[in-house]
Amino acid sequence: MSAGLGQPVAIGARTAPSRVVFGPHVTNLAHGRALSARHIAYYTRRAAGGTGVIVTETASVTANDWPYERAPLAEQCRAGWREVARACAPWSTLVLAGIGHSGGQGSSAYSQEVMWAPSPVADVVTREPPAALDEKGIGGIVAAFGAAAALAMGCGLAGVEVDAGAWSLLRQFQSGLTNQRADRFGADRLLLTRMVLEEVRRRSGPGALVALRLSCDELAPWAGITPEQAAVTVAELSESGLVDMLTVVRGGPFSTSAYRPDAHAPESFNQELCASMRAAAGGRFPVVLQGSVVDADRAADAVEAGACDLVEMTRALIADARLPAKVRAGAAGRIRPCIRCNQACQVRDPRNPIVSCVVDPSSGYEATEPALAAAADTDTDPSDPSDPSDPSDPAPAAGSPVLVVGVGPADPAPAAGSPVLVIGAGPAGLECALTLAGGGRRVRLVERATRTGGALLQAAVGSGRDSLAGLVRWQSAEADRLGVSTELGVSADAALLDQARRDGWTVVLTTGARPLAGRYPGAAQPVLDPLAVLADPAALPDGPISVVDTVGDAVGVHLAEWLATVQGRSVTLICPDTVAGTQLSRTGDLADANGRLQRAGVDRRLRSLVRRIGADSVLIEDCWTAATSEVASSAVVDCGHRLPEDRLYVSAGDRTMLRAGDCVAPRSALEAVLEGRRTALRILGTDGPATERDPVAPATVTAAPA
Amino acid sequence: MSGGGRYRHLFTPLRIGSLTVRNRIVFSAHLTNYATQDGRPSEQHAAYYAARAAGGAGLIITEEHSTHPTDWPYEKLIHGFHEEVIAGYRRITEAVHAHDVPILAQINHNGGQASSMYTRLPVWAPSPVPDPLFREVPKAVEAHEIAEIVAGYARVAGHCIEGGFDGIELQCSHSSIVRGFLSPATNLRTDSYGGSLSNRARLLVEIVAAVREAIGPGPVLGVRLCGDELIAGGTTIDDAVEVACMAEATGHVDYINTSIGVATATLYMIEASMQIPPGYAMFIPSAIRQAVSLPVVGVGRFKDPLQADRALAEGQCDLVGVVRGQIADPDFAAKARSGHSEQIRTCLSCNQECVGRMGLNRWLGCIENPRTGRESVPVAVSAPARRRRVLIVGGGPAGLQAATTAAERGHQVTLLERQHRLGGQIPAAASVASRAELLDITRNLVAAVGRLGVDVRTGCEATAETVVALAPDVVVLATGARPVRPWWAGGAGDFPTVIDVRDVLEGASSPSGRVVVVDELGFHQATSVAELLADRGCQVEILTNAMVVGQDLGITLDLETWNVRAHAKGIGQATDLVPMGVGPADGGGVRLQLQHHPTGTDRHRDCDWIVVAGHQQPEDDLWHALTSSATEAPVYRIGDCLAPRRAHAAVVEGYRVAVAL
Ligand SMILES: Cc1cc2nc3c(=O)[nH]c(=O)nc-3n(C[C@H](O)[C@H](O)[C@H](O)COP(=O)(O)O)c2cc1C
Repeated sequence: MSAGLGQPVAIGARTAPSRVVFGPHVTNLAHGRALSARHIAYYTRRAAGGTGVIVTETASVTANDWPYERAPLAEQCRAGWREVARACAPWSTLVLAGIGHSGGQGSSAYSQEVMWAPSPVADVVTREPPAALDEKGIGGIVAAFGAAAALAMGCGLAGVEVDAGAWSLLRQFQSGLTNQRADRFGADRLLLTRMVLEEVRRRSGPGALVALRLSCDELAPWAGITPEQAAVTVAELSESGLVDMLTVVRGGPFSTSAYRPDAHAPESFNQELCASMRAAAGGRFPVVLQGSVVDADRAADAVEAGACDLVEMTRALIADARLPAKVRAGAAGRIRPCIRCNQACQVRDPRNPIVSCVVDPSSGYEATEPALAAAADTDTDPSDPSDPSDPSDPAPAAGSPVLVVGVGPADPAPAAGSPVLVIGAGPAGLECALTLAGGGRRVRLVERATRTGGALLQAAVGSGRDSLAGLVRWQSAEADRLGVSTELGVSADAALLDQARRDGWTVVLTTGARPLAGRYPGAAQPVLDPLAVLADPAALPDGPISVVDTVGDAVGVHLAEWLATVQGRSVTLICPDTVAGTQLSRTGDLADANGRLQRAGVDRRLRSLVRRIGADSVLIEDCWTAATSEVASSAVVDCGHRLPEDRLYVSAGDRTMLRAGDCVAPRSALEAVLEGRRTALRILGTDGPATERDPVAPATVTAAPA
Repeated sequence: MSGGGRYRHLFTPLRIGSLTVRNRIVFSAHLTNYATQDGRPSEQHAAYYAARAAGGAGLIITEEHSTHPTDWPYEKLIHGFHEEVIAGYRRITEAVHAHDVPILAQINHNGGQASSMYTRLPVWAPSPVPDPLFREVPKAVEAHEIAEIVAGYARVAGHCIEGGFDGIELQCSHSSIVRGFLSPATNLRTDSYGGSLSNRARLLVEIVAAVREAIGPGPVLGVRLCGDELIAGGTTIDDAVEVACMAEATGHVDYINTSIGVATATLYMIEASMQIPPGYAMFIPSAIRQAVSLPVVGVGRFKDPLQADRALAEGQCDLVGVVRGQIADPDFAAKARSGHSEQIRTCLSCNQECVGRMGLNRWLGCIENPRTGRESVPVAVSAPARRRRVLIVGGGPAGLQAATTAAERGHQVTLLERQHRLGGQIPAAASVASRAELLDITRNLVAAVGRLGVDVRTGCEATAETVVALAPDVVVLATGARPVRPWWAGGAGDFPTVIDVRDVLEGASSPSGRVVVVDELGFHQATSVAELLADRGCQVEILTNAMVVGQDLGITLDLETWNVRAHAKGIGQATDLVPMGVGPADGGGVRLQLQHHPTGTDRHRDCDWIVVAGHQQPEDDLWHALTSSATEAPVYRIGDCLAPRRAHAAVVEGYRVAVAL
C-alpha cells in the first residue's frame, strides 16, 4: 500500500527515484564550516537506501551569518557539495544544497559581529537585538544567495533549496512580527523572497531545481504569517515560475519548537496545511509534506489523498536509512520506526552533539563506526552502488537478506560460532539478539518478565510517550523473524549461567536497572518507583502525590503530568532545578513541558531538595536559600537515578563476561541499543576498534576480555 | 625604584622542586576551548600562553589534558592520551620557554563529572552516583579499570615531558576522578579504595607514584586539591589538609595547588564573580601551608598585585594564582614589576566572556580585552600608512575602546561625550553595590585615553554641523542607546510611575513603596535594580516572561548568590508573565495587566511603580543626519548605536573599527 512512495516522481525537469525527501537539518558533522567526510557518508547511506531528494544541511550564504558553531558556510562547501553529488550519483538521488540566512535568529558568539534583520526586533530566544538591514545590505544578501546557488550548481548538484522556514531571514521579512519597515520591503513583505528566488534562478542556470522551504504558519495570528496569507504567497509564487518544489513547514519566532516537535505533537501534523498550500499551488510544482511524517503507510496515504506530492521523512530516515528501499521491496513492516523522541537527532545545542538516533545509533557515525551502520542495513548491501540505482529494480525481498554482518574475518576463538545466551529482553538485549541472529548465530533470549521490552516498554505510557514502545516492538518482531528463541518468565540465575557456559554458550548480560531502595531513609509514607506507578496507578494511596525528580529527563515530568491529567490526582513536582525537566532542552520540549505541567495544575516546586518525608507531608528545602516548606503528600514517586542490576555479574565473579546497557550503568535507550549492537558485533568478530581514533580504547565498552 | 621593590614578596624567586620561578605569579590552569581540532592543542594555545609568559608570569600551568578515552566531558578537551598531541605540546612549550618562563601541564580524568555524549562509552567513577550537572549514572570502576586509569596518567605525563613541559600538575580538585574517590559524597565503595580517608586517597597515591616513575626525578610534580567541596557530605578542609600531608609523604610531590568547590555543583565559588569578596578561598592554602612544608598556591579573585603581595606577606600562601587577572591583562606581572600597576587592565570578575563562554562551548575571551582568545590571529602591528584625524562621538565602552586603540596606533583622536562623565551606561550599572567592580572597565579605559593623549571633550553634544566643522578624516559613532517605552506601558504623561531601569540607576526617579520590576532582558539590569530598590526599603517583585528571572545570570555564575540575597531582601519573583497593559489600580497606584502565557489566564499586579528592564533603541539620530549630509569622511557605527547589546560587543567593535583605520 505504501509502495507508491518508492516510485519515481518528476520535479521540474528532473526525476527523483522516490517520493521520500531527506530534509536539511543540523548535524554538527561539519569540519569547521565545511561539509565533512562524515556528512558524505551520512548522506550517501540515505541515497543508497532509496531516498528521492536529499537537501544538505543549510549553508549560510554570508560569512557573518553564523547561527551555530558548525553551521556550514556556502563558500566553504565547494568540496563537500561536489563530493556529495558524486557519492550520491549512483542512486540518482536528487541532491539539493540547502542555503539560507538566519538573520536575527542567529548568534553573534562565533562571528563576534552584529546580527542583521529586517527590523531591530530582538529574537525571543536569544534576546539579542539585531541591526536593521539597509538597501545596500539587502542587495548584498540577494547577491550572496545567487552566488551560493551558482557555486552549488558548479559542484554538480541538482539544485538548491532556499530556506524561508522557521529560522530564516526570508521569513523574518515576510512576517509582521519581525518586519516593521517603512520602505518597500515593509510595504511588500514578500519582496525580498522574490528577489532572492529570481537571483537564485538566474545564477543557478537552466535545468537547476529551485526549491523553497516556506513557513506557512507562525502560530502567532496576531501579527505572524497565517495559513491564509501563506496561501496567497504560494499562489503568487506558483505564477512566478520561480519555484520548482515547495516544502510546507510551520514555525516562527514564538514557535521554533513546533517545527520538528517530539511525539507530543501528532504524526503528520502539517497535512491539512500542506493540502491547502498544494491547492494554492495549482499543480504548478510538486509540494512536499513535512512534519513528523514517520510512517510509510500514512505518508503514502497523504500522497494518495492529494495532500502532497512528496513526503519529507527526515527523522524516519535517520532511524532507518533504508526506508524507501524497504517500501519498494514490500517490506515496510521491517522499517526501524522513528519514535519521535528527539533525544539524539535534535542537535541544535551549544555542546555540538553529533546527530544520531536512539533507534539506530549508527546514524551520524557512518564514517567512524561503519560496522555499526552495516549491521542496521542488513536488508541489502549498501556498499554496492550497482544495486538500487535503478528504482525499477527493487531491493531483495524481505526474508532473503544479503547479510553484511557476519561476513567479516574469522571469528576469534573461543567463541567462534558458539550459540549465545542473552539475559534480559529490554532494548539492549533485543538489539544484541537480533544483530547476532542476523549474523547467523543461534540465540537464546531469556526474560524474567512476561513480555519483552524492559523498562522502555514500561515507560511507554500516555501521550507523547507511548510511541517509545515502537522501538522494542520492532526489535521483538525482528528478533522473532530472524529466529531468536525468546523465553519469557525465565529468571536467570547463577545455575542457568553456569550451565550455559559449560555447554559452550557465550553469555551476554542485559539485565537492566533496578530502583535505588532507601534513598529517603525514615520515609513515613510510601516511596514508589515510577515504572511501578505507571503499571499500576491504583496502588497509589488516596491524597496528593509528590513526584520527586532529581534527574530532570522526561520521566518525572511525564509522570507528574500523567498523574494529574489521566489519573486525576493532585500532584506536586519537586526538583532541584530552576525549571522542570531541564534535560528536555535537548528534545525541544522544555518550555512546552513546563507549559503542560502548569495547564495540568501540577504544582512545580523548583530549586528544591527533599529533606524529610513525613506521614502526610514532605519537607523541602530551597537549594540556594535553604528556606524550608511543607508539601502535603500521601505518597512519593521517586524519579531519581537507578542502579545497575548487576547481581548476576557480581555473583559470577567473572569480569570478562559481556554486558550491555543499563546493567553496566543505567542510562537511556540509546546507550542500550548502541551497546547491545556493539556487543553482538564483538561476538561476531565484525566490530571495528571500539573508538576509531583511540589507541588505548578501553577494553570495557562491555567488559570484554582484556 | 623598580616595581618589584614595591611588591617585594611577589617578586622574590622561589624554588619548586628542581625549578626556580622568578616571581610568585602563577597563571593557573583553566579551560580555554582552544582545542578545536580532534583534541589537539592548537596554535592559539601556544600564542595564548606565550603572551602571558611575555607578560612576566612566574609560572604557567596549562589547561587540563585528558588521561583516558573514557573522559570527554566537553567538546574541546585536549586528548592527552593521543600521541599526536606531542607536536602541539612542543609548540606551546617552545613558545613559552622563549620568554624564560616554566610551564607545567595539568593532567586529569574527570571521572563521573562527565557524560557519554562524545565518547559513547560509559562514564567512569568510584560509585554509581550521578553528577549533579551531567546527571549520568557512571559505571563503578573495577580493579582492572583503576589500573587502567593509573596507567593513563603515567602515559599522558610521559607525553607531556616528551612535549617539553617542565612538570605536571594533577588536578584532583574540582572536576576529577581523584576528587571523586577522595570525596565521601561520591565514593561509596566498600573495597580498599573506599571507606577511610587513606583508602579514598589510595588512587591519588598510586597515581603520584606512577607519574613520578614515568617522568623521572627531574620534572616538577604538583597536586591541586579541593579544600572544601561546599556540598552535603563532601570533602572539607580537615580532610584536605590530611590529603596534602599524604601527598607530601609520598616524597614525589613538589607543590600543592588549591581550589574550592566542585565544578559541576558549586562552580560559582571556583570562578567567583564580583559578588563574592576577594580572599574568600585563602583559608585553604593557609591551613594546608601550616601542615606541609611544600610550597602552596593560593587562588581566587586576585585582581591586583598589592592584594597578591599582601597574601604572601601574611603567609597565606607561597605562590598566587592570578587567572582571570591575566586573561584580562597578559602583562599583569610586567606592569606590576616595572612600577606601572595603575596601567593594569584590571579584571572585573564579571565572568561574561571567560567563564560564560566556557559553559557554552565557545572559545575563551574577555569582556575588556578583545585580543584574548585571538592571540594567534595576526593584527597589523605596523603603524598605519597615514596618521588620521579620528573623531569619535560617544564615551561609553565602545567609544573609549575605539579611542584607545586608534591612539595606540598613532592616530590623532578626538572624543566627544555629551555627558559630563565618561563611561556611558557603565557607571549607572555599577552603582549597585553587588555590581560595583563593573566600573573597572571604564576606569581602565578612561586611564588609557588619558595616558594616550586623546582629546576628550565631555559635556559636548555632537551634531552633524559640529562634526563637519571638525573636519575629521574618519568619524566613529558610538552614541549608545536610549530606553524605549514598551507598547503596553501607556503614555508617560498618564503613567509617570512606569519608568525604565536607567531612570532609577541614573537618579532621574526614586521609586518607593510597592515596585514591580519587569525583566525582559534576563541579565543584570532587572536583578540589580530590584536589589537596589529593596535596599532602599521598597517592596519589590520581579516579573518575567521567561521561565527564570535573570536567566543569564546563570552563565556568569551570579544566579545562586543573587537569589540568596534576593531571598534575604524579600524580593519576590514570578515567571511566564507577559505584560498586556497598565491602568489605574483600585486603591491608588498603577495596575499592571498580565497574561500567564502557559495557561492563557489573566493576572494583574497593583503597585506604586513599575520599573522596566527592556530592550533599548539605538541612539542613531546623528548617524541618520550624517549619512544624509555631505560629510566626505567615512562614518562607522559601533556598539549600542548599531544594536543595543552587552558591553562586550561595544569593546569588540570599538577595537575592530580602530584597527582597520
Ligand atoms: C574559564 C575558567 C576555567 C577554569 N578551568 C579550570 C580547570 O580546568 N582546572 C583547574 O584546575 N582550574 C580551573 N579554573 C580555576 C582557576 O584555576 C582559578 O582557580 C579560578 O579562576 C580562580 O582564580 P582567579 O580569580 O584568579 O581567576 C578555571 C577558571 C576559569 C576562569
